[in-house]
Amino acid sequence: MSIEIKHLSYIYQPDTPLAHQALQDISLEIKDGSYTAFIGHTGSGKSTLMQHLNGLLKPTEGQLTVNGLTINPSTQNKDLSQLRGKVGFVFQFPEAQLFEETVRKDIAFAPQNFGKSESEALEIAEKMAQVVGLAPEVLDKSPFELSGGQMRRVAIAGILAMEPEILVLDEPTAGLDPTGRKQMMDLFAKLNQQGLTIILVTHQMDDVANYASHVIALENGQKIADTTPRELFSKPAWLREHHLDLPKTTKFAEKLQQKGFELPYLPLTQAELAQMLQQQLGEKHE
Amino acid sequence: MNKLLLGRYLNGDSFIHNLDPRGKLLLCFYYVIIIFLCNNWQTYTLLFGFTLVCLALSKIKLDFFWRGIRPILGLILFTVLLQVFFTSGGHVYFKYGPLMLTHFGLVNGCYVFVRFVLIIVFSTLLTLTTAPLEIADAIESLLKPLKRFHVPVYEISLMLSIALRFVPTLMDETEKIMNAQRSRGVDFSQGSLMQRIKAVIPLLIPLFVSSFNRAEDLATAMEARGYRGGEGRSKYRVHMWAKKDTLSVVVFALLTVALLFLRN
Amino acid sequence: MMDSIIKIKDLNFAYTNEDQALTLKDINLEIKPGQWVALIGHNGSGKSTLARLIDGLLAAKSGQIQVGSFILNDETVWDVREQIGMVFQNPDNQFVGADVESDIAFGMENRGIDRTEMGRRIKKVLKAVNMEKFAKHEPVKLSGGQKQRVAIAGVLAVQPKVIIFDESTSMLDPEGRQDIVNLMQELNRKGHFTIISITHDIDEASLADRIVVLNDGEIVGDGTPEDIFTQTELLSKLGLELPYPEALKQKLQQLGLEVPQEYLDEEGMVDLLCQLKSNI
Repeated sequence: MSIEIKHLSYIYQPDTPLAHQALQDISLEIKDGSYTAFIGHTGSGKSTLMQHLNGLLKPTEGQLTVNGLTINPSTQNKDLSQLRGKVGFVFQFPEAQLFEETVRKDIAFAPQNFGKSESEALEIAEKMAQVVGLAPEVLDKSPFELSGGQMRRVAIAGILAMEPEILVLDEPTAGLDPTGRKQMMDLFAKLNQQGLTIILVTHQMDDVANYASHVIALENGQKIADTTPRELFSKPAWLREHHLDLPKTTKFAEKLQQKGFELPYLPLTQAELAQMLQQQLGEKHE
Repeated sequence: MNKLLLGRYLNGDSFIHNLDPRGKLLLCFYYVIIIFLCNNWQTYTLLFGFTLVCLALSKIKLDFFWRGIRPILGLILFTVLLQVFFTSGGHVYFKYGPLMLTHFGLVNGCYVFVRFVLIIVFSTLLTLTTAPLEIADAIESLLKPLKRFHVPVYEISLMLSIALRFVPTLMDETEKIMNAQRSRGVDFSQGSLMQRIKAVIPLLIPLFVSSFNRAEDLATAMEARGYRGGEGRSKYRVHMWAKKDTLSVVVFALLTVALLFLRN
Repeated sequence: MMDSIIKIKDLNFAYTNEDQALTLKDINLEIKPGQWVALIGHNGSGKSTLARLIDGLLAAKSGQIQVGSFILNDETVWDVREQIGMVFQNPDNQFVGADVESDIAFGMENRGIDRTEMGRRIKKVLKAVNMEKFAKHEPVKLSGGQKQRVAIAGVLAVQPKVIIFDESTSMLDPEGRQDIVNLMQELNRKGHFTIISITHDIDEASLADRIVVLNDGEIVGDGTPEDIFTQTELLSKLGLELPYPEALKQKLQQLGLEVPQEYLDEEGMVDLLCQLKSNI
């Protein structure tokens, strides 16, 4: 399930005095089973681009192909909905989309819209609740009785229930506490290992460093980087120039270097830095 | 969501923008009344010219007004056609059953068309140049005399201004939830009437829930900020009636006299 | 010794009437004027409830809260609120006015402050939060961080003694968050406000003079950041993050390196590592 975007541009409210170009000549490729992070400031065009991936928006120019299905400016609306069954989209604060009487019914909502029978959908719902770590006893509760963190899980289970081939996540951990955040990110990593293509929109550079294999940066509707996290974070000066942050570890390692501590290269994760330090400092004990 | 231009405010700094909202609101009503004084081409031309001058003074592109009219153009034309075909008198050009096309009908149709367009353009001018809050202020101060009859004017106006302030926020929210449910396979634009009504439930329930949550948050925040009802409150937004406001009233008076003079 | 500005004695609170479900249990807490206290704990630990109780937005089941010279009850609740400003989590849901200026005015209007004085204070507080250019802006045109700055300006305009930040940074992007945290620092240092910040951002908490840890409605830790951050076991048991240098120290220890027990901030940790290296 690969994604190929060619010269895609998008203009909001074209031909009006309020026209606004949100995306400009974007070309990129996302491979099957990869874990891609999109970074950039609020208003850089990330959300607009994501909405193209599952057919909520149609390009003003250019095209995108998702697993053989090509969307261009003249694509009919009913073909767009075909895309939606394949690409699961977890919006920011997705708990806002819950509406059914019970958790079970809410998770089973999407699969029924995509042609599954009620009993099949309810069966999937049970399975997905388990995948996201919801206890079986919540299934028959109203989603509105649950805590914020649990509601988030229900919403995510509701998207996974579509059994998508690509999962788009827009700031999925916003507002969660540290434990909730970690559990959520580990869940997505596990799903990725099982073959699901993951696209993560985030401001958290630590998540990019810890989880992604591919990173794309947007700025003012244009692509300014398309590389691996290691490559991207090896250029702190460039990132600063574009007002993008560094992972905590990289920032810390930079400080070490500035104080004259030599490191072979800039590490991305804490484990990596600890390894490096052990190699350099551990010797004296031998 | 953003297609609707009627009722939208455009920030600006023009003569029209800076008029007192109370005056603007009243004069806009007054305009709708005096437009009925027009009954020949001279009066319509005068009012048309006057309206153009007002538009020019607002420094807003004409395009915005055209967008205000376009969505209801069909409705206007329908009314005009009724007027054209059901007015009798003058030379008959064409007749079919109760339908007839007469000289009076044609002329009347033109007048009705111009009247509609002028009213819409003028009220669009009011909303484009007056922030919703200013309109709420204006309504409050126009309602003030009702305080004597124990009408909670202050609370009404606060409710109105908070409602106005949350319109864009709720529009955003609606769009977000619609997108989320579309992603879950809901189709808001196709299917039978029943299906469409059913499709609205996944939109309405979350919207209600979130509005209630917002209302609760807002009430807490207002209480924390010391809100305890209208008594003893002072007011920051005060509108000063200036020379230009008096001037605009005088212009409208002169316009009325001219219309009375020119009409048949 | 200065008198405490906030004194909480044996406070209990429950959202329902059943006794089992106490949201806060036997809370005792005193806060000195000018102190910056961070309240940390996982979601649902009772942090926000505590803040609302202090401001009289919720009523306690038992116990006593004193703010300044007022013991909180039905008669004094407005006097108490006079001394406390609150900045909430959701930037949108506390923006009452239709534009920046009228939102800042809201709190002053409630207190019947004279119009010219309002104008003067609005100018002053807009400058304090660096939003002078945005006086006439509507909320839709502001970012989350900017809306929070407006909320802070609204609080400053009514000149409270205590400012409570109830997860005010949790819905912001990193830039907005940094912005608000910087502003909090400035308010505490230059403005001499007593600050209570409720947060699970450990970097934000590390800036405080004192950290109070809540778990399931009880205070389970209370001390300086140094005290709290060296209780790594407690923090990880409660699912709270460690500050970066502390977490790194732990990792190094697991890898068999000898590290000192005392708390080190980022600079301290960098120095330590450089020193270790030069010893080799």
